[in-house]
Amino acid sequence: MVSDRRIAGGIGGRLFAVGALLLLVGIPIVTLVANALADGAEPLLSLASDRSVDAWRNSLLVAAAVTALSVLGGVAAALATERLAVRGRTALRIGMLLPLLVPDFVTAFSWQQAYAPGGLVDDVVGVSASWLLGPIGVIVVLTAGAIPLVYLVVAAGLATRAEPELERAARASGATRLDVWRSVTIPLAGPSIAGAATLVMVMSMNAFAIPSVLGTPEGFVTMTTRIYRDLAFAADSESFSRVLALSVLLAGSTLVVIGVADRLLPGRGPARSGVSASSSMASGRRSWLPTAPLWAYLGLSTALPLVALVLTALTRGIGLPPVPSNWTLDHFAEALGNRFGPAISNTLLLAVLAASAALVLGAVVVLGSRRSGRQWLGTAVSATFAVPGTVLAVSVLLAYGGALRDTLWLVLVAYLAKFWAVAHRPVAGAVDLMSPDPIRAAHASGAGPITTLRTITIPILRPALAAAWLLVFLFALHEVTMSILLYGPGSETMAVLILNLQQLGDPTVTAALSVVLTAITLAAALPLLARRGLLRRLGWA
Amino acid sequence: MTGTPAVLACHDLTVRYGSATAVDGVSLEVAAGESLALLGPSGSGKTTILSAIAGFIEPVAGRIELRGKIVAELGRSVPPERRRIGMVFQHYALWPHLSALETVAYPMRRGGAAPDAARAEAARLLDRLGLAKLAGRRPAELSGGEQQRVGLARAIARDPDLFLFDEPTAHLDTPLRAALQEELAARRASTGTAAVTATHDVGEALAVADRVVLLRDGRVVQVGTPRDVYERPVDVWAGRLTGPASLLGATILEPGTGDRPARLRIGNHEVALPSALDAQDVGEAQLLVRPDWVTLDGELPGTVEGLWYRGPHTDYRIASPGGRIDVREPGPPRFAPGAAVGWRLHRAWPMAAETGR
Repeated sequence: MVSDRRIAGGIGGRLFAVGALLLLVGIPIVTLVANALADGAEPLLSLASDRSVDAWRNSLLVAAAVTALSVLGGVAAALATERLAVRGRTALRIGMLLPLLVPDFVTAFSWQQAYAPGGLVDDVVGVSASWLLGPIGVIVVLTAGAIPLVYLVVAAGLATRAEPELERAARASGATRLDVWRSVTIPLAGPSIAGAATLVMVMSMNAFAIPSVLGTPEGFVTMTTRIYRDLAFAADSESFSRVLALSVLLAGSTLVVIGVADRLLPGRGPARSGVSASSSMASGRRSWLPTAPLWAYLGLSTALPLVALVLTALTRGIGLPPVPSNWTLDHFAEALGNRFGPAISNTLLLAVLAASAALVLGAVVVLGSRRSGRQWLGTAVSATFAVPGTVLAVSVLLAYGGALRDTLWLVLVAYLAKFWAVAHRPVAGAVDLMSPDPIRAAHASGAGPITTLRTITIPILRPALAAAWLLVFLFALHEVTMSILLYGPGSETMAVLILNLQQLGDPTVTAALSVVLTAITLAAALPLLARRGLLRRLGWA
Repeated sequence: MTGTPAVLACHDLTVRYGSATAVDGVSLEVAAGESLALLGPSGSGKTTILSAIAGFIEPVAGRIELRGKIVAELGRSVPPERRRIGMVFQHYALWPHLSALETVAYPMRRGGAAPDAARAEAARLLDRLGLAKLAGRRPAELSGGEQQRVGLARAIARDPDLFLFDEPTAHLDTPLRAALQEELAARRASTGTAAVTATHDVGEALAVADRVVLLRDGRVVQVGTPRDVYERPVDVWAGRLTGPASLLGATILEPGTGDRPARLRIGNHEVALPSALDAQDVGEAQLLVRPDWVTLDGELPGTVEGLWYRGPHTDYRIASPGGRIDVREPGPPRFAPGAAVGWRLHRAWPMAAETGR
C-alpha cells in the first residue's frame, strides 16, 4: 500500500491538523517553557529536593500499579462477556459502563462515604478501610475507575474485530479455550489492549482528583497534587518556578511512557478478513457463574459507594444515622438552587463542544496520516495527552489568559488540547483494522474522496466515532484538573464547585451536588447508550 | 487496432512495493469486447496489475491508457472514480452498512442518478441477475457466493468501459460460475465491454478469455489465445502452468512440414505423428504431451502405474520407454494398475532438451 494515497485524507487535512496542534498545544507550551527559562536554572535545581523526588516516585508507582491491575481486570472482564457463554450479557455490558459515568472525584468521595471509618459500612457491619486514605486507597480507587475504561476499549475491539473463524481454527488445531485466548484472541485484540493500557497509564500518572481527595490528607503527595498545592496555596515566585520545573518532569516522564508504548506494543493488526464478526463464538449452556466477579466488582466499586453518597445527601446532618426519619431534600434544593445553576449549563455546554470538536480533530488526524508513513502526526496528538492537565492549564493561561480570561473559551481550548488524543485513539484503532477494499470499491464505483468519506468510511467507522465522542463527552463532564485552575467568576463548572465544597468540609451539599452531576451524566449517556443503532453496531445488542 | 483505440493499453508498467518489484515492465492491450485473463501463481503480480489499472496504486514507471486517454504515468494519475472501471474484488469488499440494493444503487448515484431512479434501476439489475430476493440484505446476511454476485452487480451498475475481476469465481460453486460467465458474455456482446480477469485457475482462464497472459515474477512470459498457450507453451514452466503436462524423451527423425507427418523414435519404436512438429532440427528432444493427446489404443508399450476415476473421465499414469506420461480417457477405468497397455501419440509439442526451450 506504499503509494496508496487515495485512502489518505491528503495534505490539506494534515496541514489543518498541524495548525490546530500548534494553536492548541504548541504555542501554550512554548510560552510556558519561555516563562520557565526566564528564571534561569534555579527551578531545575529545586527538583532535587526530597519532597519532589518523593512526588515523582509516588506518581510512577501509582501509574504502574493502576495500569497493571486495570489491564488484567479489564481484559478479563472483556473476555468473560465477549467470549464465554454467559447469561445477562447485555445487562453486564451496560453495567460495566456505569462506573465510567461517575466522575473520579465523586468516586473518591463516595468511597469515603461508604468505606472510611464512620462511613456506611462501618455503621452497618462495623468494618472500615483504614487504608482508604493514603497510597493504597489512591491505587485501589484509581484502578476501580480504570477497569471499565479498559473493558470498554477492549470489548469494542473484540466485538468489531472478532474473527470467530480464526478462533475456531485454533480450537480445531487442538488449542484449548485458554490457548485460543492466549494465542489468537488477545494478540488480535492487541491494538485495543495497547491503546487502553497507554491511556490508563497516562491518566493515572496525571490523575489529580483522587490523589487530591484520598492522598493529600495523609501526606501522600504525587506530582500533580504537589504542583496544585504550590500553585493554589503558595504565592511566591520560587514555588511557581518549582511548579514549572516539576511540570516539565511530569510531562517528560509521561512522554517516555507513551514513546515506549508506541514502539513496543502492537500498534496495528493485519487487515480484517471478509469474515464478519459474530457477537459470540460461545456455545453450550449459558451460565451466570463467569460474571459473578464482575457483578461483585460493580456492587463494591460503584453501587455501594453511590448508595452511601445518596444517603449522605439525604441525611439531615453529619453523624445522624441514615434512616428515613432523618431524611431531607434540603441539600438537593440547595444544590439545584440559583447558586449552582450556571455551573450546570457551563458544564454541559463545554462537554458537547469539546466532544464534537475533538472528534473532528481526531478524525482529521487519523485519516490524514493513514498508511502514508506519517505516524508522527498521530504520535504528536497522543503526546498532547501526556501533557498533564495542570501543566496544560498553566500554559493555556499564560498564552491566552489575556484575551480569554474568565471565559468558557479558555477552558474549551484546554479541553480540546487535552481530549483530542482521547478522540484520536479509538478512531485510529478502528481505522488500522479496516481493510482498504471497501474504500477502493467506493472509488471504483465512482465516488470521490469526500463522497467516500461521507458514504462509506464514516458509516463503517461509526461505532468507533460514537465511542470517541462519548469518551470525550464524559471526560469533559468529569474534568476538574484544568478547570479548577482556569475557571473564573461565571465560568465555574460543577466539578470545580464539588471539589471546592469537599475541601471546605461540607459533605452533605458535596454529596447532593455529586448526585446531581452523576444523574446528569447518566441522563445524558444512557439514551445514547440505549440507542439501538449504537449498541447493535458495537455488536452489543 | 488502427482507428479505434484499445480499451486498455499498458506500456512498460512497473510497480514497486518498497524495494520489491511486483510488476516489471508489463505491456498489454485489451480491445473492445475482448476478454483478457492474467494467469499466474500467487505473487506473480496479477492483482497488482489490476490495482494499477483501477488506480488504487501508482506505477513507478510506464503508462496506462484507457480508451486512448492516459490515466497513469509517472507523476500523473487519474483517480479511480474517474476511470470508468467496474471491479469485482476477491474478498467481495461489500460495505457492511449497506443492503444489496443500496450497494448496487451506489455507483448509479455517483453517476448522477436521482435516489429513486438509482434504486429502481438497481432493483431491475438485481432482478435480472436473479438476486431480487437479496435486495434488502446486508453483507452479514449473504453467503459468500451471494456476496460475490452482489459485488458483480455493483460493478455492472457502474456501466464501465472495462471490467476488472480479481479471482472472480474462486468462491463460487459451479452453477453460479456458469451463470456469472453467461452474464458477462452477454454484457460484452451487447455493449462491447472489455474485461481483465486475474486468476490462478487455468480452467477459468482458458474458459473466459479471448487471450491469456502468463505472468511469472511480475513479468509477461507468454501472450496468446487459450489454444496457443495450451498447445504451444513457450517453456516447461508455461506448459505446467497452463494444464497437466508430461515430458516425453524422444528422437525427432523428421519434423514434418505442412501435411507431412513427423516421425519420431520413442525407445526402440518408430512412430509417425498425425501432425507436423514445429521443430527446426532433428535429434534428441523433450516433447510436451497433454493428457488428451494420447489414447490407450496403440503399439507403443506401457504399464499402468496409477489411475484415478474422475466421473466423466479417468486419468492414468503410464510408465513408457520415453518416461512417465499422464493420459486422460473418457469413461470409467478400462485397465487395472500394473496392466500392460499399448498407447498412441496424436500430438506433441517439442521443448529444447537442455533449456526447456
